[in-house]
This record gives sequence, C-alpha cells and structure tokens, in this order.
Amino acid sequence: MPEMDEFENALQQAFLRRPAPPGLRQRILEQRNRRRSDQIRRRVVFWQRLAACLVLAVVIGGLATWRHVTQQRRGETARAEVLTALRITNHALDQIHSRLTARDRETGERP
Amino acid sequence: MARDWQPDFERLVDEHQSMVFSLAWRMTGDRGLAEEITQDVFLELDGHMHRIESPQHALFWLRRVAMSRAADALRRRRVRGVDLWVEIEENHGTSLEERPSPLGARLEQLITTLPEPQRAALVLRYQEDLTPEEIADTLESPLATVKSNLQRGLKLLRAKAESNLKDYLRPGRALGGA
Repeated sequence: MPEMDEFENALQQAFLRRPAPPGLRQRILEQRNRRRSDQIRRRVVFWQRLAACLVLAVVIGGLATWRHVTQQRRGETARAEVLTALRITNHALDQIHSRLTARDRETGERP
Repeated sequence: MARDWQPDFERLVDEHQSMVFSLAWRMTGDRGLAEEITQDVFLELDGHMHRIESPQHALFWLRRVAMSRAADALRRRRVRGVDLWVEIEENHGTSLEERPSPLGARLEQLITTLPEPQRAALVLRYQEDLTPEEIADTLESPLATVKSNLQRGLKLLRAKAESNLKDYLRPGRALGGA
C-alpha cells in the first residue's frame, strides 16, 4: 500500500476501535453460562428419555418372554396330562384284557 | 499432538470485544444490533474453541465471523426495510468517552453511505489496519476485488468529504490523495 495521505490519516484516527459497552462482557458470559446450562439440561433430558425407553423395552421384552414361557409351560402341562390320560386308558384296557382272558380260561371257550 | 496454546474464552472476550463491537457497529450503524452481533459472535466462538489454534487464529476467526454476521444482519434489515445509520449520527446510548471527535463522527457517518463491500474493505483497512491481502482472506474475496473496493470506496468517501466536511477541514487544504 502507498503512503497514507492526510485524509487517510484522518480516517484512521476516526476509525479507532470503540470501547465495548460496559456490561457487554458480563452479558456474553451470562449468555454462555445459560446456554451451557440449557445444553446440560437437554443432555440430561435426552439420557432420561433414553433410560425410559430402555426400561420400557425391558418391560415389554420381559412381558413377552413371560407370556412365551407361560404358554410353553401350559403346553407341557397339557402334553403331560394327555400322556397320563393315555397311560390310564392303557392300564384300564390292560385290565379289561386280563379279565376277559381269565373269563375265557374259566369257561374253556375259545373266541 | 498437544497444542502449546490453550484458548481462554474470558480472556478472548476481554481482548477482542472492542474490536468485534466496533466492526459490527461500523458495518451496521446500529449500536444495539452491534451488541447483539458481538454476543452472537462470541457465543459462536465458544462452540468453536476446540478448533482455535493460536491467538492469531482467534483474531482472524473473530474478524471474519464479525464481518459475516454484520453482513447477514444488514441483509435481514434490508429485507425488513429498516432505515440504518440513525444511531451513529445521534450517538444514542453512548458514553462521553465513547463519542468520537466531530470530524470522526462525520467520517463514520459518511462511510455508512458507501456500498457494503466498499465499507467492509475500508473498515478493515482503517480500523484494523489490515493489508489488502489480509482483507481478502478475512472477507473471502478475490484480492483484485478488495483492491478495487478500497480504491473506489476511498475515492467516493473523499469526494463526499470534500463536499460535506468543509467546516471541519483546515481552509486551503485539499483532502490529498491521487
């Protein structure tokens, strides 16, 4: 840049930095603190929501597992009952067969 | 790699609030708006502290963002049709020590009548004492454009001063220049 002339010198004098208004620094720092508090609050709310979602997911998952296990147990119980019924029936049929065989022997008749 | 210099936000505010505020005020001509811009610029700096590498980088970053936010504010105001440059003339809300000399005040007022790119170049040149290359970096403009804006702005301002500031200038002295 070439040397400054009188006008440019006057311009430079006129354009000295102005002092910042009193309290501006304080306002900036307060706003910064407020913003940080907001960020922390938002972060806390985020983690709270995430925790709530996890709890909900665990509860729903637990309920689904419980329902599945209960149904499985009921199925097993029903199967066991059917098997018991079949065993009883089989036993009864065996008894009837034994009696019929004994009666046939007593009467000497052949079928 | 660890950095030797660690930015201290409060210290940066102390050191540069006057610079950011002056740039914003001279670009917008509105003291209240300049305060808002200054606050926004420093809050933005707070979010970018981890990227600031040195005091020079902080100064460069603040100048660039201050000019950019001031230009944004001017654009928003232009859209809303608000008349600018009232407060500089009337010095609303300024303390006595903040007020420039009458000639200084008139020159500040005159520069506000220049087109925005010329005003930005002149403010950075004469307030911040930057070279055209540094102004080009700060404004992210081509060097030739900055040089042209400086020359045209200075010529225009000189012409306006010749006709408007006769009372403040010593009689018989021209305003110099080419």
